[in-house]
Amino acid sequence: MPETTRHAFQEELTELESQALAGLDMVVTTLERTMEALQQQDVELALMVVQDDDRIDGRYLEVHQGILSLLARQAPVATDLRLVAALLDVIKHVERMGDQCVNIAKTIPLTGHEPPVVPELLGTLLEMGRHVAAMIEQAKRAFCTRNVELAEDLVSRDDAVNRMHREAFRIALEAGEDVDTREWAMMMLGVGRALERMGDNAVDIGEQTAFIVTGLFREFTDASRPAPVS
Amino acid sequence: MNPQEAKEMTSEPPATTRGRFGREQGAATATPVAGPQQAGHRVTVGELNAYYGEQHAIKDLSIDFEPNRVTALIGPSGCGKSTLVRCINRMHEEIPGAYATGKVMVDDTDVYDSRVDVVAVRRAVGMVFQKPNPFPTMSIYDNVAAGLRLRGAKGSHLKERVEASLRGAGLWDEVKDRLAKAGIGLSGGQQQRLCIARTLAAEPEVILMDEPCSALDPIATLKIEELIDELKTKYTIVIVTHNMQQAARVADTTAFMLSGELVEHADTEKMFTNPDDDRTEQYVTGKFG
Amino acid sequence: MSAVPATTAFAPISGARRRKDQFMRGLLAAGTIVALIPLVLVIYYLLKRGLGAISWHFLSSDPTGNFLGDPGGIKSAIFGTIEMVALASVIAIPVGVGVALYLTEYGKDSRFASAVRYFVDVMTGVPSIVFGLFIYITLILSGNVGTFAGWKGSIALALLMLPIVTRSAEVVLLLVPDHLREAALALGAPRWRVVSRVVLPTALPGLVTGSLLAIARAAGETAPLLFTAAIVNGTTFNLGDRMNSLPLQIFTDVGQAQDRLVARAWGAALTLVMLILLLTLIARFVSRRSRLT
Repeated sequence: MPETTRHAFQEELTELESQALAGLDMVVTTLERTMEALQQQDVELALMVVQDDDRIDGRYLEVHQGILSLLARQAPVATDLRLVAALLDVIKHVERMGDQCVNIAKTIPLTGHEPPVVPELLGTLLEMGRHVAAMIEQAKRAFCTRNVELAEDLVSRDDAVNRMHREAFRIALEAGEDVDTREWAMMMLGVGRALERMGDNAVDIGEQTAFIVTGLFREFTDASRPAPVS
Repeated sequence: MNPQEAKEMTSEPPATTRGRFGREQGAATATPVAGPQQAGHRVTVGELNAYYGEQHAIKDLSIDFEPNRVTALIGPSGCGKSTLVRCINRMHEEIPGAYATGKVMVDDTDVYDSRVDVVAVRRAVGMVFQKPNPFPTMSIYDNVAAGLRLRGAKGSHLKERVEASLRGAGLWDEVKDRLAKAGIGLSGGQQQRLCIARTLAAEPEVILMDEPCSALDPIATLKIEELIDELKTKYTIVIVTHNMQQAARVADTTAFMLSGELVEHADTEKMFTNPDDDRTEQYVTGKFG
Repeated sequence: MSAVPATTAFAPISGARRRKDQFMRGLLAAGTIVALIPLVLVIYYLLKRGLGAISWHFLSSDPTGNFLGDPGGIKSAIFGTIEMVALASVIAIPVGVGVALYLTEYGKDSRFASAVRYFVDVMTGVPSIVFGLFIYITLILSGNVGTFAGWKGSIALALLMLPIVTRSAEVVLLLVPDHLREAALALGAPRWRVVSRVVLPTALPGLVTGSLLAIARAAGETAPLLFTAAIVNGTTFNLGDRMNSLPLQIFTDVGQAQDRLVARAWGAALTLVMLILLLTLIARFVSRRSRLT
């Protein structure tokens, strides 16, 4: 007699969680590669990122199907049910973040062979990328350990990302020497927005962590909601 | 309410069909098809203790059953949920050596009050059992009419009451052409609905169900669950069930019992998405039980 | 045998086991036959010796008491048996069923109920002659209520029937499933209505069967009637009179020197067996309609 009943069910649920969280690892790797491609203006690396998104989509489908199957066969309730609902949400965010990386990667070949580079702007974006990658890892750790404080901390990190985004915007506005440069700067703003969105996705994953633990869904304060004036 | 009021209530003969628990004289009401009361009836259990001889089966249990709602009682085997419902209609004391102390209020009458007639309690609080038990010597008609005849009702209005009860149990269309046939000739699900019709014929205020679907196939189960959903508009229903999915489908509120105690009682949705007590969590997710 | 696969999943039945099976079957068959032989012999003799004596005259005329000439028939004996057994049944069956109802519905496991059960069991073992003696001493020798009479025989028979009826009724009543009683109680029926409307109707076929078997038993009893009903020749419908009965008629006739009287005894015995057979057949028919057994 196994120590806990529903042994097979628990194993299945744990497996689904690892698969979903592994998706987050895949996203971090993809983001790092994308940032590298951006820095080196490496067209081939960018192409690889676009193609590898299939793997992330595949992971999404796998987890999604696994959850449907679990719901149909095992009728999870209470904490198990909240976990399953959260996993559906997480894997959706994983897929979105993968798509954001693709959007970033796609700007690289477009910027032509030797695009004009505004070092300050590029530097800010790379910094954003590093921040966001760290945020995703933190979100994953928080989810894994069901640590609500760690999840809530993501909000302040997201604030930093948003600050950098506004900074990038300011730089881009002033980068106005010639048409090519301006064009490049505009494209880079697209990159900034994609990164900012990824940061929001990471915060959303943090909200799911809080949901599992408390059973209540609460929006953390983030860029979409200004913090209340105390 | 003070003893004086209670005494008055129990000594006067019932003025309306809404009979109270006084000692009834003679045959029951002669009014024509009086439908069951529309107003809801609340059941409040206060500090109930139930015993089987030395064994203390229910410990200081207090719970409220809201009017016109379905409340499910869940819990592992032996936790006392069947004992609890049997205390509500005082069937518990029919077991030799079994007794209970405490209060069970149906609206504002304590069914354990010494002036209350236990037979009258059972007319107001009906019960459906796990195994369908139509009376084998009686036809379908007689089985439903037994709900009335066993309490001494006579008269020509029985026919309408029988039809109303069979309709109420969702069985009329299936049996209207064979009312004289034996009750035990029906399928399991139909027999259970026949027992429900029989209970409805007695015009109860509260209906207790002790695992009513355990012996039935899934389709018959679903039919009865739908029936419960309709019945709750007129009656207050308490259902004991081993099947958590059934509790989740059918009940408005769910109460979890363990070892004779009430652990948690909340809206069904909350019990199954975010219960407060850890033991409830463990039980509903199947980690024990 | 190449048709048989080399490795079969199940081992075939061994010769030793087959032989043992045959031996046991044979043993049981032999035992059954041995048990049946006396029964067959009894029936054979009854028919052989008694069939000849039966005629319309035999059944419709009273014993005349004449030593010579026409000995008469057994009409008074037949009627006597029927009358006395009928009265005994009217006494014993309601009381017996009543006691059984008390034991199953009200007394259950109480001390008093257990004591009653014990006494009933003891009574089933009391020799039937003791009942006869008891009535003889209390109702005849005491002189208060006169001498031999049909109704006194009935009482003796009733005492005999009572424990039999009670025992079989209790068994049948216990077979009524408890959940039927529960269902009736839960509908708000007082216990007496539960008994009268649910328990008794459900148990009825079994109760009837048990009663018929008790009647059949009483019809054949001789000893209780020896000291209570006496042997008379005339048919009477007054239970206050002395009354004839089949067992007593057989008892008297068998010891006589006259062959025709002995033949009458055999005829009476056959009649009695036929009567009891009839009752038993009715009992079986009724029991087949029961939903409990």
